[in-house]
Amino acid sequence: MSGRAAAEKSSTVRFNMTGANEFKLTQGPEDGVSAVKFSPSSAQFLLVSSWDCTVRLFDVSANSMRMKYQHLAPVLDCAFYDPTHAWSGGLDSQLKTHDLNTDQDTIVGTHDAPIRCVEYCPEVNVMVTGSWDMSVRLWDPRTPCNAGTFTQPEKVYTLSVAGDRLIVGTAGRRVLVWDLRNMGYVQQRRESSLKYQTRCIRAFPNKQGYVLSSIEGRVAVEYLDPSLEVQKKKYAFKCHRLKENGIEQVYPVNAISFHSVHNTFATGGSDGFVNIWDPFNKKRLCQFHRYPTSIASLAFSSDGSLLAIASSYMQEQGDVSHPADAVFIRQVTDAETKPKST
Amino acid sequence: MGRKKKKQLKPWCWYCNRDFDDEKILIQHQKAKHFKCHICHKKLYTGPGLAIHCMQVHKETIDSVPNAIPGRTDIELEIYGMEGIPEKDMQDRRRVLEQKSQESQKKKQNQDDSDEDDDDDDDEAGPSFQQPAAQPQAAYMPPMTQAGMHPGPHAQGMPPAGYAGMPPMLTGIPPMIPGMPPVMPGMPPGMMPMRGMMPPMMPGMPPGMPPLVARPGMPPMAPAAPVTAPGMASRPAVPATQSAASKPLFPSAVQAQQTVSGPSSTTSDSPKVTFPAYTQPSSAPSVAASSSTVAKPPATVTSKPATLTTLSATSKLMHPDEDISLEERRAQLPRYQRLIPRPGQTAAAAASAPPSGAVGGMIPAQQVIPPQQPGMRHPIHGQYGGPPQGMPGYMGGGMPPYGQNAPMVPPYQTGPPGPPMGIRPPVMSPGSRY
Repeated sequence: MSGRAAAEKSSTVRFNMTGANEFKLTQGPEDGVSAVKFSPSSAQFLLVSSWDCTVRLFDVSANSMRMKYQHLAPVLDCAFYDPTHAWSGGLDSQLKTHDLNTDQDTIVGTHDAPIRCVEYCPEVNVMVTGSWDMSVRLWDPRTPCNAGTFTQPEKVYTLSVAGDRLIVGTAGRRVLVWDLRNMGYVQQRRESSLKYQTRCIRAFPNKQGYVLSSIEGRVAVEYLDPSLEVQKKKYAFKCHRLKENGIEQVYPVNAISFHSVHNTFATGGSDGFVNIWDPFNKKRLCQFHRYPTSIASLAFSSDGSLLAIASSYMQEQGDVSHPADAVFIRQVTDAETKPKST
Repeated sequence: MGRKKKKQLKPWCWYCNRDFDDEKILIQHQKAKHFKCHICHKKLYTGPGLAIHCMQVHKETIDSVPNAIPGRTDIELEIYGMEGIPEKDMQDRRRVLEQKSQESQKKKQNQDDSDEDDDDDDDEAGPSFQQPAAQPQAAYMPPMTQAGMHPGPHAQGMPPAGYAGMPPMLTGIPPMIPGMPPVMPGMPPGMMPMRGMMPPMMPGMPPGMPPLVARPGMPPMAPAAPVTAPGMASRPAVPATQSAASKPLFPSAVQAQQTVSGPSSTTSDSPKVTFPAYTQPSSAPSVAASSSTVAKPPATVTSKPATLTTLSATSKLMHPDEDISLEERRAQLPRYQRLIPRPGQTAAAAASAPPSGAVGGMIPAQQVIPPQQPGMRHPIHGQYGGPPQGMPGYMGGGMPPYGQNAPMVPPYQTGPPGPPMGIRPPVMSPGSRY
């Protein structure tokens, strides 16, 4: 509803409508988009980090950029600590927090190599970063300061928080589960059940498990409980594949986002498609129209009413010309995101 | 699959003879594989339905059901799930299933006496386990282990012998090893049907195993064994029992056993169905399904990233070949490399680094050197402090480094960077002519 109301308010939104229920953000980044994240408390605000070295805050309902701050190098991930503080990190290896009220930056700390992931764990009240320096670092958001460095077996490619647990996906297809309250040892060491490089991991809102995607058009649904009966429920499926001229083109699945209410999830691939899946009935609920280029990031708003879709070329075919990178905001309906009752 | 005498009622597809757990799944399978229009991919409900659709919509006739085995391709038969299957084929199927289960029953118990029940189900562990307690054959165990397998009717007691005699067997076996390897695989399956017994046996097995086989690759398998063994046990215990009966512990007994149980063709596949620890090296496929850790395209940690294995001739992976993440690859592009602050490093080294996979490993190393990022000021000092040999490399980079440094070093930009040394008057490298 807010999108439609906004269309009446602001003419820029009307010009950017790319569908009845979808529009493109104006004043978007000038290079690829690395991550989109909605504010935890409101579907109105969205953080967008980019390869143009900026992190931008958008007022989605008015389709306007409220704020922008810089890093020295491309930013690979961003996250809200709370509605007024953004955290971000990237190729400059610096972890920054930005006060969205005062528009002030602080460098909280660094990694020894680019920071790939930034997430917040509300249950333990700690910020988590993962880096290509093969470590995960925890940060106390209030001071803010470093609260520990934890070596991983490989470069960190993705991570996700499930309650008080942290699931880390690294190079070499490793998956580690840590207890954020007790980081003295790894709680579970696993290997991805997919045969190809891990691209993204996201935990279920119900914290029972996680979804893992690879570069080979495949997604696995896994459970955290190591007992045999629960592990038997895990499965994987193929997706984001297109058949063209008899050749099957298999695309990386770059992004996953869960709908907080229905526990269904959206996946975005380098094929430019977004699919919504019901993991319990093992069905696809919906596929949106094809976006201009690869989907780099997805984010459902906390109330599940909006889906931010970063359509941004990710250099899968090298440094070639490509459609413009953009962020689309789409209103999603229950029909698209709610499991069918049969 | 735990109910008695219900095997023939398990849903199966008449068109391709496949088994399913559930009729719903069977129907989904039929719709997707047999009743799907090859032109528009619409899924119909029955064979005749598909034929009518093709005729009406595409004006095409089809004469056989897609993906059906020969003899089962009749497009006019109206079959939906299990409904409509001709009675004759039902009976055929029942018979085949019965034959199959009877065969395995026979192998395990050996043809002569004792068919306690003609059960189809898999808990042979029950009846056969009780035997040693019930029958005096238990008395055979010690002589069996020491003197070799006693052929004949007592093969029926063999599996429990394999179990009950375990401790003495284990000690008896190590001395036999040199001649034993081909027979070793036969021994553990004796344990296999004792599914109820498996857990207590398992801890006994691995300690016994390592000394038993000096095969390379064994040690890595041994830890995998306890994990995969339950997986193995749940695989048809039926073939396991079959091979157990036919491949007892000692080679002499093998021949004897074979003469006795001649007609039962059991010697065929024992290598396949043995203790996972043994079979890992030889028959990866059977165990690979359960332990998926062994043969995967590795993404090594070396500085040169491994390349991805290609999928197949008909599939193309839309991802660059090196097994590094898309972000790492993008970060190697010169326009981003320039931006990464590296105090202490010559900007030349950063800019002239070719965006190839080999550099992937270098970049993290470079980043590690400067723990703090004070800003762009320091690279200049680095350049001056750097060895003169850095200059040729600098020039190799061409303009971009200059472009980057121009704002920093305006006084030194005395013109086109033709003569390398001319731009850096304060730096007098030995051997340079300026």
